[in-house]
Amino acid sequence: MGSKSKKDPKMKSNIFSPIGKFFKNIKRMFVSGSVGTKLSYLIFGAGNLYHKQYIKGGLFLLLQVAIILFMVLCPSINGTPYGYKALANLSLKNVSEGGDFDPVTGHFTTGSDCKLMILFGFVTIAVIVIYFILWYKNIQSSFKADMDKKIGKKPTTFREDLASLFDQKFHITMLTPTCIAALVFTVLPTIFMIALAFTTYNDQDMNNLGTKLFHWNGVQNFAAVFTGEGSLGVEIKNRFLPVLGWTFIWAIFATLSCYFGGIILALLINKKGLKGKKIFRTVFIMTIAVPQFISLLAVRNLLGEYGPFNTMLQNLGWTTQPIGFLGQKPGDSELLAKVMVIIVNMWVGIPYTMLMTSGILMNIPADLYEAARVDGASTTKMFFKITLPYVIFITTPYLISSFVGNINSFNTIYLLTGGGPTYTGYQAYKVTIDQGSYNTGAVIGIFTFLITATITLITYRRSKAYNEEDTFQ
Amino acid sequence: MKKLIVCLLVLALAASLFVGCGGSETTPGEGGQQQQQGQQQQQPSKANDDGMIRVWVGEESAEYYQKACDEYVAAHPDFGYKIEVKGMDTGSVAGTITNDPTAAADIYTVAHDNIGKLAATQCAKPITNEALVAQVLADNPESFQKVIYSNLNGTKYLYGVPYISQALFLYYNKALVTEEQAQTFEGLQEAAKAAGCKAITVTGDDGFNMSFALLATRASDHATTVKIYEGAEPQSGGSKGESNCQGDDTIAIYRWLQAYAADPNGFKWASPDGWDADLDKNNQGVLAVIGGAWHYNTAKAALGESNLGISLIPTFTLTAEACEGLTGVKAGDVYRGGTFADCKCFMINANSAASKYAKEQELIAYMASKDVQNASYLECMNVPAYVGASTFIKQCFDEGKVTESQYNLAAMQVSMAEWGIPQPFVTGTLNTYYYSKNAPAVFRAIIDKTAYPTTGDQILAETESLEGIRKALYLAEYLWMHGVNPKEFPANLPDKA
Repeated sequence: MGSKSKKDPKMKSNIFSPIGKFFKNIKRMFVSGSVGTKLSYLIFGAGNLYHKQYIKGGLFLLLQVAIILFMVLCPSINGTPYGYKALANLSLKNVSEGGDFDPVTGHFTTGSDCKLMILFGFVTIAVIVIYFILWYKNIQSSFKADMDKKIGKKPTTFREDLASLFDQKFHITMLTPTCIAALVFTVLPTIFMIALAFTTYNDQDMNNLGTKLFHWNGVQNFAAVFTGEGSLGVEIKNRFLPVLGWTFIWAIFATLSCYFGGIILALLINKKGLKGKKIFRTVFIMTIAVPQFISLLAVRNLLGEYGPFNTMLQNLGWTTQPIGFLGQKPGDSELLAKVMVIIVNMWVGIPYTMLMTSGILMNIPADLYEAARVDGASTTKMFFKITLPYVIFITTPYLISSFVGNINSFNTIYLLTGGGPTYTGYQAYKVTIDQGSYNTGAVIGIFTFLITATITLITYRRSKAYNEEDTFQ
Repeated sequence: MKKLIVCLLVLALAASLFVGCGGSETTPGEGGQQQQQGQQQQQPSKANDDGMIRVWVGEESAEYYQKACDEYVAAHPDFGYKIEVKGMDTGSVAGTITNDPTAAADIYTVAHDNIGKLAATQCAKPITNEALVAQVLADNPESFQKVIYSNLNGTKYLYGVPYISQALFLYYNKALVTEEQAQTFEGLQEAAKAAGCKAITVTGDDGFNMSFALLATRASDHATTVKIYEGAEPQSGGSKGESNCQGDDTIAIYRWLQAYAADPNGFKWASPDGWDADLDKNNQGVLAVIGGAWHYNTAKAALGESNLGISLIPTFTLTAEACEGLTGVKAGDVYRGGTFADCKCFMINANSAASKYAKEQELIAYMASKDVQNASYLECMNVPAYVGASTFIKQCFDEGKVTESQYNLAAMQVSMAEWGIPQPFVTGTLNTYYYSKNAPAVFRAIIDKTAYPTTGDQILAETESLEGIRKALYLAEYLWMHGVNPKEFPANLPDKA
């Protein structure tokens, strides 16, 4: 695994230096740029037009005009505007109750839609950010043309710029759709969700008030999870911390049981001299091949009140009443249900680790074991000194992501027991979908994110996989 | 060339991400999420009148109403609109509409208890056509008329037009229970003892399904002390009226039910496998289930049509133990299980174009007419909501147009309506309080004799003693009226006669 050359913790870059460089660059381009470049600071594409790059300059200008029109004309969807009005609407103060009705014509004015107001506000902010990115790119483009001219080169034509997107700038072509998709489908919904956590948006209060309107309420929803003074009352206060506790227990046991179970299984299957290795691997991989929800629903029926397992126990005379293995009824043992979901999860999860570990085991250099044998190391010592460190080194990121995945896990317990013993993922689902308390659901989501992000950062930063990543051969 | 192919692939990948943003057909019976996607192509065109009126009805009725509407358009060439009918899950449709009313149909159908919420959140438009209002008043029972109005800017308007009635009744296993045994809870218990199973279950433990106990009334005179928002004003912020569920009769009924549930051959909650698994003739977990017409096909599948018995919710006789310490009831009093007797209504989407308004009301008048309701009964087993529908139902049976179980299904619903009240909440506030503030959990805790937590530092320790049950019932009543738990219990319960 090579020599250890840990990362120097002192090598920390100053996060402000790129910002400083950025502003210096802007100043530099303005001072040493041509008239066209200077004009570009106000009119997009002016510099390109100055350098006779008409298509490029025209496109920049068109985008500037489009964005300015978007901001000024404020197009609306379902009565909710974009543009500068959307920015003003972000305060959620300029709202209308609506409800004006003409009984003769049937004309009905609906009130403001605060959900859309927030969403469109953030979209508008994104458009403004894009505007400034374009502003910088337009100056950069003009300045590059200045520099090209200065050294006697002809400024690139639009055709050449386009060609470069398939050549030296191919990475930009490839990354652009991904970045746009990430912005639209990940960043915006996440920001929207975070914003909801700071509002009064929940069905109960809105129905009580008879309105579609809601407003910002600071960190009250976060406090309500601990004080019980929110729309869900003491229910959320009484349940959140115990649920969080169980979620951790679940995540730890589910992760470690699958992880070490998978390693042990891989070691057994990869043992030298074992016949039918391929058959064994295939058998275990079959649980992966079958969609997980089918496996889980099958187990749910297997262990149900009228399932084969309970029927068999009763027919054998070992039990008189069905055992609530999955804790779905009042009076069923919650501990038994917790144990069962962890066991069933092992059945579903172990093959994944087994498969991955098999690959790693087959790649451990044989000369390491050979050298250890020459030095007189026992099998156990070789396992703890060579195999395990090697496997852990490579699988630490997987272990962390698996732990985080289990904290956020929804389907395993939900499909198996219908949601109990309750865990944070299901609780967020329940308060949002069943109880319409979108703000509390968002709060639970943020808490979960903070906890998982903290654990991930600390664990990963302290792991060998991070500190010694360059040493892996 | 390679780069071009890669670019095309990336573009295809990016385009596929936006596929979800497009319209998609919804298959009836699919989950709520898919239904929401399906709505995208059914936008009521708030700003534009596109010559189409879109209608959402229950999944089981979509085909019939499409046919009926096509006939109407063919017979009225001057109607001027095409009609598109879609089937939706009526249990969850109100939530779907409030989530995004702009994506809902021009006309939709919901159970009447959603009217207050939909009106308050501006998802519904009042109905003002005089002929239609007159039709509603002439055709529907007074009980329905009380719960289909709501208030807008101080004016009371008709919002819902009833067209289906629904109530709880009893499905039972005819192979193991005689018709006579099915008339009483005690008879079911006797049959259950013989079969070695539980007597009866219920399809859910929510406020609607648990009305069988809460709304039980004395068989001789329909008497009950239970009041739920009686005299409430149909407007947000209006008076919540009067509520009471601490009467001696209510306490005695729950004490009786506690004993019945504790009996090895008495009541049980539906198992996690579902009430139909309990009822299934192969499992024989339970002999009877209290449910609605919408459970008919499932019950039939569980028992087979020949074994499926349908009856009124049975009666039960209060025992001396149930009445001990209570003055308002006496041992031997016979009570019949009650029900919320509800109706499904047509409503108009507030976001629908004003230019469609007149035609939408014309169409609703047609779809809610007696003839269409009658045909809907024959085609989809929707029990008509109008007064006197029982005559038509009987006539259909006599003429052999429906089977015996289909007849019983409708007849029992109509009969049970006499033993129930419509869910009496017409404002968003009361609907929310009744369903979402945990009162149903309190009733379940009483039946199970389990403790119910009220506040973080105040625990309702038990629901076994007379005092414990009375406290729990006070708690439920307080939740109905205030939406929150009481800070403390009054020193001397009951606080009202």
